Amino acid sequence: MMKPVSCERENSVIRALQTGECSGELRQHAAECPDCSQALTLAEALQAEARRTEAGFHPPDAHWILQRSRRLAREIAMRRLAFLLVAMRVLAALYVVAAAVWLLRGYAALPYREVASSMNGASTGFVLMGAMVTAVCVVVGLWPILRDSPRHG
Amino acid sequence: MEDAGSLAAWITPGREQTAAGEEGFRQLYAATSRPLWGYLHHASGRSDVADDLLQETYCKYLLRHPPAMDEAGSRSYLFRIATNLLHNRIRSRDDAALEVPADRGVETNEETRLDVQAAMRCLKPRERELLWLAYVEGMSHAEIAGATGLGTMSVRILLYRARQKASGLLRPRGCK
Repeated sequence: MMKPVSCERENSVIRALQTGECSGELRQHAAECPDCSQALTLAEALQAEARRTEAGFHPPDAHWILQRSRRLAREIAMRRLAFLLVAMRVLAALYVVAAAVWLLRGYAALPYREVASSMNGASTGFVLMGAMVTAVCVVVGLWPILRDSPRHG
Repeated sequence: MEDAGSLAAWITPGREQTAAGEEGFRQLYAATSRPLWGYLHHASGRSDVADDLLQETYCKYLLRHPPAMDEAGSRSYLFRIATNLLHNRIRSRDDAALEVPADRGVETNEETRLDVQAAMRCLKPRERELLWLAYVEGMSHAEIAGATGLGTMSVRILLYRARQKASGLLRPRGCK
């Protein structure tokens, strides 16, 4: 079995020193136990040092900390929004490239002709009109994102 | 709706701060700022670093803290944030070099004060952290483990070694 490295009651002794509520039995144990008596001596020295340094410390106003945390929260929010815009810009650029490739290479391929030949004149016109409106909407939607990337990027 | 809510929370962190939350924070700040500063001051060995990290600790706490946390939990969480920030500072810059802390107060026992300061200066930051949390804050091994991110058994062993080292340094006159 592994040898314990310190006394089990060390923490109770230190807490008793802090609160000033030390039973006779605990005091006797602290006097007899080399671990606890060493810990007690060290704790007294460190606590005296803590009292000395903390007495001269004047914490900044809590209001100031709250203001600073709000400012930080705003900065984080701005960074996240900027990240979202960059992600949308990248997706938009990818979409434009993919659409251009599709138009150049896939539009003239067989499936379109087969679909077109199976439709009558009115439905073909309707489909083309729908495709045009969709393309215009996509371009208009992407324009603000793609337009000013060098300025804000 | 839930997705929209979580997206809004992701974009605007910490927006749940209310007047009641502010009052709670003021009370917590009044109760914990001095001990936390003392810890940072002695663990880093520098009062300017302690001043910086204290503010940063509370800002991080306000940005991140879970809504339901009692005072003891908040206190423990603050020490954990402070310890992590201190380690980041030590890693990112080489200002872990120990300096004599600035003399801010009045001391009745000059010899003891100098001995403690000299002993602290000779210890590693991790050893100073453990000694401070155990013997000034009165934290148990499990609480120290929570605040430092170490295992409870590691805390026990490291604290024992740090105590032996500090006691050895306090008896003769400082370290060489």
